[in-house]
Amino acid sequence: MPPTDNQGSFLNRISIRRNQVAYEHEIEDLEQFQKHVADRLSELIHPPEDTPAADPPETTLSIAWFRKLLDIFLCCEAEFKTVVIMGRDANSFLKSPLDRLIPEHLDRSVKALDICNAITQGIELLQHWRKLAQIAVDSLQQKPIGEGHVKRAKKALDTLLSSITIDDKENHHHTGKSTPAPTKSNNHATIGNFKSLSYPFARSWSAAKQIQAMSSNLATPRGGEPTGLVVPVYLMSSVLVFVMWSMVAAIPCQERAGLGAHLQLSKQFSWAQPMIGLQEKIGEEWKKKEKKGRSGLLVETQKLEKLGQNLVEFADGFVFPVEGEKAEEVTEMVVEMAEICRIMEEGLVALDMQVRELFSRIVRGRAETLDVLDQVNKMTTPVPY
Amino acid sequence: MESPDNGLQKAQQIVLRWDSTVSEDARARMIFQSDRQEINDYLQAVDEIQHFMESITVSDDDQKSQKVNSAIQIAMARLEDEFRNILISHAAPIETESLTESISPIHMSSRASSSLSEFNDSDDYFGRGEDDSVHTIGNLVRGESSTTITSYRSTSSIREMDLIPSDSVYDLRCIAERMITAGYIRECVQVYGSVRKSAVDSSFKKLGVEKLSIGDIQRLQWEVLNAKIGKWIRAAKVCVRVLFASEKRLCNLIFEDLGTDADDACFMETVKAPAIQLFNFAEAISISKRSPEKLFKILDLHDALLDLLPDIDAVFESKSSESIRVQATEIVSRLAEAARGMLSEFENAVLREPSKVPVPGGTIHPLTRYVMNYISLISDYKQTLGELIVSGPTTGSRYSDDSSTPDMDVADHEGRSPLALHLIWIIIVLQFNLEGKSKHYKDNSLAYVFIMNNIHYIVQKIKGSPELREMIGDGYLKKLTGKYRQAATKYQRATWVGVLYCLRDEGLHMTGSFSSGVSKTALRERFKSFNAMFEEVHKMQALWLIPDTQLREELQISISERLIPAYRSFLGRFRTHIEHGRHPENYIKYSVEDLEMAVLDFFEGNAVNQHSRRRSN
Repeated sequence: MPPTDNQGSFLNRISIRRNQVAYEHEIEDLEQFQKHVADRLSELIHPPEDTPAADPPETTLSIAWFRKLLDIFLCCEAEFKTVVIMGRDANSFLKSPLDRLIPEHLDRSVKALDICNAITQGIELLQHWRKLAQIAVDSLQQKPIGEGHVKRAKKALDTLLSSITIDDKENHHHTGKSTPAPTKSNNHATIGNFKSLSYPFARSWSAAKQIQAMSSNLATPRGGEPTGLVVPVYLMSSVLVFVMWSMVAAIPCQERAGLGAHLQLSKQFSWAQPMIGLQEKIGEEWKKKEKKGRSGLLVETQKLEKLGQNLVEFADGFVFPVEGEKAEEVTEMVVEMAEICRIMEEGLVALDMQVRELFSRIVRGRAETLDVLDQVNKMTTPVPY
Repeated sequence: MESPDNGLQKAQQIVLRWDSTVSEDARARMIFQSDRQEINDYLQAVDEIQHFMESITVSDDDQKSQKVNSAIQIAMARLEDEFRNILISHAAPIETESLTESISPIHMSSRASSSLSEFNDSDDYFGRGEDDSVHTIGNLVRGESSTTITSYRSTSSIREMDLIPSDSVYDLRCIAERMITAGYIRECVQVYGSVRKSAVDSSFKKLGVEKLSIGDIQRLQWEVLNAKIGKWIRAAKVCVRVLFASEKRLCNLIFEDLGTDADDACFMETVKAPAIQLFNFAEAISISKRSPEKLFKILDLHDALLDLLPDIDAVFESKSSESIRVQATEIVSRLAEAARGMLSEFENAVLREPSKVPVPGGTIHPLTRYVMNYISLISDYKQTLGELIVSGPTTGSRYSDDSSTPDMDVADHEGRSPLALHLIWIIIVLQFNLEGKSKHYKDNSLAYVFIMNNIHYIVQKIKGSPELREMIGDGYLKKLTGKYRQAATKYQRATWVGVLYCLRDEGLHMTGSFSSGVSKTALRERFKSFNAMFEEVHKMQALWLIPDTQLREELQISISERLIPAYRSFLGRFRTHIEHGRHPENYIKYSVEDLEMAVLDFFEGNAVNQHSRRRSN
């Protein structure tokens, strides 16, 4: 029996079938990926059902919430890398539209790295505020509260509050100087304190502009695309932009003036819903607070500011001794502030580590993606002879 | 002796007198700029009050202890201002003029008498800070009692400088002691940190440390980036070994043994952010795009940082600075990875270098020069690269199903280091590429000359560098030599077989019925063919170029050795036949000497003027 044709087509059929099965698996993986992301993101709004009742859900834009958000992002990133980038036929990366979308995603990654660095500095600033608040807490926890304690607390709180509410532009003005002028004691609030908070980037760098550049070319995919990869790439980029945007809105960092209160996210995807909801909420808050300057929307910062203002008021009207209802009020406020300091001290250290981890992962992910692109390029570019 | 109460009263009075929130006079002057007596009185007063505070129980709410408590706060606020003031008056950026690139041991003595011009030619090494001359001159003019800058050495490369004159350090310590004892350590640390950090910032500016984002760095042209890396390396050495080390020493001098790790806290407040900013640049470089031309600068950066690691570990030894040490180590390994990637990238680029335009005259291809220069540099860097490159090259047809890809049999090169294997592979790949390029020549002979030229160039380059030769090995060198000789032989055949065919004996003699002799017609044809072919070859191949003199001469001699005897013998046997015919000059165009001269034109790369060859016979 001639071995040629029949066998040939039989083998062909098997390999087509095998390819088809593999293809179906790939599509399934991609859909699973999207589902996982959707599930995790909705945990930000509604805690999972098996959470014990005693654990309250994290307040949006608190340190704990951010830690969760970054955790979610790191999981998504890991899955994205496994499912979308590695272990698949990367030839499609060279064809439209991925040949444009993937480099755009890589470009966003670079901007995200800079934002991570700015956020790291921002966290330092938050620690600085915490330390100031701690001074006030320590003084006002003395019993009984004396004039000395109150003055000390007020001094710290005044510094804290003016640092929180100072305008970005005004701060740039200070960091330009390299020679501190010889000072008289009443200049202490301006010299030294704000200059210590100099920014890591050149004056022209703006977190707001970076975010805008990242989101401006994030176009909703139109669908009907054969590889099924366009949507996952869009997903990863969207989540990246959302995470960066939230961090910039909450944590003080260089030049947030002009941060848009709105992110373009397409409603058609299930995973986008939680982000859209959150982003609307955060956007509202941002619009309200934007005028007030650099403090950012972080819940703990807001609380510090409020408590700080109240305690300064108390300090201004202080008469020794403090008794009765007043004493109770003050004690309560001080206890609350102490708690916030504690939360900040622990939480910010952990958050800082997460941001560094985020940085590392983005670097690695980018390198690996570039490697894959390189390989594919080599395979498709013939040795020219 | 005064009663304790009296002493306390007096102490409080002193403190209250210096309360700047109520007294104009107190605002106008600084205690620590007054005379020693004034300073001592104040400090003593503070001590007195503090002592009293410690002896009473905290919950006493009588008026007296409240007043004392208030006095402490006033004193601490005052001391904070004094502290800040002393620090601010010594916050000038570091002296860089006296530091050389290698930070070799130097004795820096008082500069009070140095001329202005010395400072105006400030060392461009470190870039220009805005207030450069103002600061350094300012330091001279201030007329402080001790401007001697002496340098200490705690490790072989660290140089600590005195950032603040010792009497001010003493004052600062006196103040810190009181503040910490009174529980005002936080305020103390904050003031210290904020002033010293801005001093470090202005030193950074002076050293040329820039604030570039990763995005900025990605966008820079390589030449610009190259220069910045060099500048950064010089600056980083000074920052770690001098600047940070000096800050640490200063913290120790002021805060050591005052309890609660104040010295470490102050040090971190001062340098953590600047250190991160410094290393961010190196980090950005380590993640930037990998292109082969960056390899050597990346290696420089890698080596510089590796060199700095022990100093970084020494300066940032505390637990709280662990992240800085970790970051530095990570950057070093990323740079190593980048270097490895660039080497691979290079190999790939050599393989796929696509230019098809043949080099005129078959001379050395720019790719060959570039690659050999690159390889030479690699051998210069063999110490570092040798350690980084731990596996051999990916060879063979991994990248293409086509079997016509270069291959390397590793067994041929046993015992060679991975780096050496890479070098050999690069040469293999280069040859492969050159072979392909040679096929674009329409003339096979030229293709062979091209190959011969280029491989010979490779051989010469290897021979010219002992390190390179040692790495590549004489075995492979011999193989390469064989290759270019082979190309020469192929050239010979391609060009000269045809020409010499004209001078063969067969076919000229007739054995026929009418005459046994030479066919004059055939002979004339032969001469004509030879002349035409030789003229053609001569004209064309004179334009070709063999740049290496020795190689050129060798080939010319080789041509002569076959051509001249053959022609001489041909002429000898058959010229009479032509000369007895009509117009012999149409057929015998060349004398033997003519040919000998003509051969010297070959491969010179110059056009020959045909008419000057005309000689009457």
